[in-house]
Amino acid sequence: MAEAYFPVGPGLGAEENFLSLDDILMSQEKLPGRAETNLPRLAFALGQGAASGDSILEGSKLEIPLWLAKGLHDSKRRIISVEPPKIYKEAWRTVFSADANVVDLHKMGPYYYGFGSQLLNFDNPENPEIAQTILQTFISRFRRIMDSSQNAYNEDTSALVARLDELERALFQAGQKGLNDFQCWEKGQASQIMASSLVQNYGKRKFTDMDD
Amino acid sequence: MEPAEAEFLAEKELVTIVPNFSLDRIHLIGGDLGPFNPGLPVEVPVWLAINLKQRQKCRLIPPEWMDVEKLEEIRDQERKEDTFTPMPSPYYMELTKLLLNYASDNIPKADEIRTLVKDTWDTRIAKLRLSADSFVRQQEAHAKLDNLTLMEINTTGTFLTQALDHMYKLRTNLQPGESAQSQDF
Repeated sequence: MAEAYFPVGPGLGAEENFLSLDDILMSQEKLPGRAETNLPRLAFALGQGAASGDSILEGSKLEIPLWLAKGLHDSKRRIISVEPPKIYKEAWRTVFSADANVVDLHKMGPYYYGFGSQLLNFDNPENPEIAQTILQTFISRFRRIMDSSQNAYNEDTSALVARLDELERALFQAGQKGLNDFQCWEKGQASQIMASSLVQNYGKRKFTDMDD
Repeated sequence: MEPAEAEFLAEKELVTIVPNFSLDRIHLIGGDLGPFNPGLPVEVPVWLAINLKQRQKCRLIPPEWMDVEKLEEIRDQERKEDTFTPMPSPYYMELTKLLLNYASDNIPKADEIRTLVKDTWDTRIAKLRLSADSFVRQQEAHAKLDNLTLMEINTTGTFLTQALDHMYKLRTNLQPGESAQSQDF
């Protein structure tokens, strides 16, 4: 059951992995922010005006994707300032500390952990609390992921993974794979030769079909 | 490691058979396998025993731990203790599967044995998950588990190491380390 290719995983932490698809998708999520200076003729780029001559006035509110926010963020030349999205703010933090298992993390931005780790790059007085909340959320949800991934064999798991964010889904799949491998082996399928899943998707004519 | 690889390693264990053919001592790279005389028990590795059994050249004798009372004792002790009890063989799961699949006619009460071993396995896996959960919850630095077998480690290993990796990276977020180098234009 060896994989045919190894995808580059997300670099969870202060730096993203450049080649990871998960990180690229994650950095597309938007942050609320405001422009600190006038940005002449850039209204169309930030989605605010149609004509190419419009400029963004100082102090206007913007929704900026993370990759752009990281590039423009600089404490000396204050171009924009960002603040964490509401899910990382005080109100939601108390929800997470009360019971993290009920929250639908997929709906709240499917990259809660990755995005939260990237947020810590911006100077923000709430950073230590945000980091602590993310860690505690992960720890509380760990038990449920472990139990559901190790016990659902050959069932429809879409109800179980619906509320997990992408990082947790990858973990869930790893747990499922361990379980599936073991069950396969116990049934005796591990020693049977089967066509690789990649090859089956090619849709080539099979040997038995050529006799027609 | 995959279950099939663990099974391969398990096939090196010795088991007693009673052959129905005769053969002089054979010299293999791993060691000698003693002379085979019909009707006299001899110890061979499991891979050879399974092969001979499939060719109907021997009769398998179950290992002494593969017995209903013994396994019931083991299962009850496993349920009583909070830690892992030593298992009669470090490959009990693989040996059970191999012997019961290929030689169930030589093993009395094969179905009960299968059930008992499965019960013991379930108890041990549940204990493993409990200890993994308390490990994560208390954010310990390292843990020590005695008397785990290879198959159990394989089943939960990948998941646990990945989860601990993620937890470690989230923990390093807590330290406000040196800020990343940014370019000044």
